[in-house]
Amino acid sequence: MNGEDLIERVLREGTRQADEVEVFYYRGESIATEIKKGILGTAEESEAWSMAIRTVNDGRIGFSSTGDPDRWKECLDAALASGRLATPQQWGGFPKPAELAGTASAADRDLVVAVEDAAGMVEDLLAGAAEHPVEVVGGGANLARAYMMVANSTGTLYGMDRTAASVSLETIREQSTGYEFDASPFRAELDPRSVGEQAAFLAARSLGGKEIETGRYDIVLSPIAAASIIGQVLLPALSGRNVKAGRSSLADKVGEQVLDESLSVYDDPFAPGLGSAAFDAEGVPTRRLAFIEQGVLRQFAYDLKTGYRYGEASTGSAVRSGGEPPGIGFHNLFLDGPRMKEPGDERAVWIHDVVGAHTANPFSGDFSVEISNPFWIEGGDLTEPIRTAMFAGNVFEMLREVGGLGKDARRVGRLTIPSIRLNNQQIIGK
Amino acid sequence: MAADVRYYDIRCVRGEVTLVDIDNGVVESAGTSFFDKAVIRVLGPKGWGFLTRDHVDIDSKRELNALVEEAARLAAVTADEIDLADVPRGVLPVPPLKEDPRDIDLEEKTRLLAGIEEAARIEGVANTRARYTEGIDAVRYLDSSGNEYSYEAVRSGFSVLAIASRNGVMQMGSERDHTTTGFNLRGKQDLGRKAGEVAVSLLDAKIPKGGARRAILDPELAGVFTHEAVGHASEGDLVREGASVLGGKIGEAIGCPGLVIVDDPTLHEFGFMPVDAEGVAVERTEIICDGILRSYIHNRETLAAVGNGIAGHARAEHGAPPIVRMSNTFIENGDATYDEILAECRDGILLIGSRGGQVDPGRGVFQFNAEYGYLIEGGETTDMVRDVSLSGEILSTLHNIALIGNDRKMSPGYCGKGGQSVPVSDGAPHLLLENATIGGRGE
Repeated sequence: MNGEDLIERVLREGTRQADEVEVFYYRGESIATEIKKGILGTAEESEAWSMAIRTVNDGRIGFSSTGDPDRWKECLDAALASGRLATPQQWGGFPKPAELAGTASAADRDLVVAVEDAAGMVEDLLAGAAEHPVEVVGGGANLARAYMMVANSTGTLYGMDRTAASVSLETIREQSTGYEFDASPFRAELDPRSVGEQAAFLAARSLGGKEIETGRYDIVLSPIAAASIIGQVLLPALSGRNVKAGRSSLADKVGEQVLDESLSVYDDPFAPGLGSAAFDAEGVPTRRLAFIEQGVLRQFAYDLKTGYRYGEASTGSAVRSGGEPPGIGFHNLFLDGPRMKEPGDERAVWIHDVVGAHTANPFSGDFSVEISNPFWIEGGDLTEPIRTAMFAGNVFEMLREVGGLGKDARRVGRLTIPSIRLNNQQIIGK
Repeated sequence: MAADVRYYDIRCVRGEVTLVDIDNGVVESAGTSFFDKAVIRVLGPKGWGFLTRDHVDIDSKRELNALVEEAARLAAVTADEIDLADVPRGVLPVPPLKEDPRDIDLEEKTRLLAGIEEAARIEGVANTRARYTEGIDAVRYLDSSGNEYSYEAVRSGFSVLAIASRNGVMQMGSERDHTTTGFNLRGKQDLGRKAGEVAVSLLDAKIPKGGARRAILDPELAGVFTHEAVGHASEGDLVREGASVLGGKIGEAIGCPGLVIVDDPTLHEFGFMPVDAEGVAVERTEIICDGILRSYIHNRETLAAVGNGIAGHARAEHGAPPIVRMSNTFIENGDATYDEILAECRDGILLIGSRGGQVDPGRGVFQFNAEYGYLIEGGETTDMVRDVSLSGEILSTLHNIALIGNDRKMSPGYCGKGGQSVPVSDGAPHLLLENATIGGRGE
């Protein structure tokens, strides 16, 4: 039975027992090649199939999912059973069919999920890495294509294709390590050779770093380091669910200046990207959302469930991961602002990445992390490597005054972000 | 078997996941989902080809042959020359369940979880959240050498989070408990209450000053320390790839005398497995003995390539190829009492609980975060502190252990590596560390 037929059966059978039914259907194929010790070590091909069902009865939402088409009936029964236990809430129905506000840019028609293509990307990664005297310890290239559909008993039915190409490389020289990666829906946007070169450069160039004393320094966070720290703290604080549940320290600050006036944070679902989508994971049309404009907090992200419960409208921000029910998330998030001054012009500590960003306190914003591949930067050049150190601070406080944004914005996961200069920050030496 | 297939195996995991999520007294979701995943591995003339599929009939010879052929096509593009070590076989009995979670209906689970969540809602707490997770895995395995096994793993557990809030300051407390030995939601309200109390008291905690000083690690944090600082770097795949500072260090003293660090998948803790994910018998592995590096933890291919260690440490999330992982990792008891450790520390910091950690095993640098702590002055604990982390270097830190306590405790959790998450436990007695790098933004 193909996806469309099965969806129809589930909707038909489900509406006999529930007020409303929703089906989310996914099928995908992917190739993953992994590098071991500088050569192609393993090749993996995956096919995945899944279906998630939600039912609503008198404001009680039920959920179940399955990876086995033959178990769709069991899955529907489990969704209904789960609905009987859920606390009833205000519910205004699944979305009716609507005009979409834009088109997604998440699929590359030319991307072929073939092991030969992935092996070619691995060759390019390794050729790039060969430009510096390092050993390659790991990494790989992946290609994936998926088709997903969301349909509900009010007649909404959308489907979309997604593709993804990604590469990563891990290198080492003595005790100096380097890691770089990139991912895009579009194969042609990736440059595996330069990713390989950069990973090798980091390990080669970080060797023999000098000690740094504990104290206050001006720093520049690379897009990767900035995304790691900010992703852990600022993004959860923009989720409407965390706001209404008392888990966001931005909850009562709409209209207030919460970040430096040069910083804006917005979700553009129509921009090209891995999360680009014209409808969200529960079939609500997406739109561009400005969360923070020139440092002023404007709004939060909502899905249907949180929206209905608290009298807010869905912002088309529902996303799904694995076999879990939809939750609030972002499609293509941007942290952006005017580029006044190059962040690395005046002498500062440049930080490529951090170790342990996930241990930051997401509510208070406090963090203290180990830094990776730190350098002294001056005149825009990495002049001298620094030996290991820690960086401690508070995300909300440090973003209240930034010393400049770089022209080097890049995608790190679903966030596109430039390098950020922050003056007078705390570094803890060994 | 085709000439270009040196070996194959297939591992199918079919099962159910039950989740209950309660947020501020509201049952957000409570239900069961189903999965059925298979991974087929083929060793070609050189390296591995893997296939992952939903819903494979392992008993169909025809289906299996077709999958092996497809995986062999993938293996043909690899260049890494893999050999597999000969290994002991055998499957341990799965521990009996004190109370089988499948015998308890979802309504009762939800009610018990709600009790724990409610207990966290003490004065000063703004938000509480609790989550119950139950996983039933029916595992079937067979390989081209004629090995075949099946077993069932039942895991259940919960976490509870409390957030206290006052004048714009927000702090959290969290507790969790996960087991392989049966249903564990009964009589656990005290853990909910503790999460609430920690969150509220952290509102008045100080922010510590960063820098080097003496630190006492409680058993939970010392367990994470063991896992991050030693466990990952002893994984045979990282050693083979040249990505671990512990490579080539067998027989060297890398820790203080008396230090014993073990990974033991046979213990009935949260990281228990009756047999590993490539059909190898599991056994206790002493990574460090009396301060000397003795063994790496291995799978068949890393044992063949690296030696110096024990296979039986291959693990996999369902639907993913097995990789070398820890299971139950711990520091054995020493002989110091907690009071002796406190007295010996005199002035320093006591770190309690874990908010997780991370390691760069190639560089030999790790970082992890405590849930909270206390300053120690004159051998006594004084002010409470928050948002405090610890970092260090693998090759020097273990020499800085000055005292090993006699009160080891294990804590359950999940460990991520290579995009896969598997259940583990880790533990240790209280430890006294000299010259620990403490991260905190106080001045």
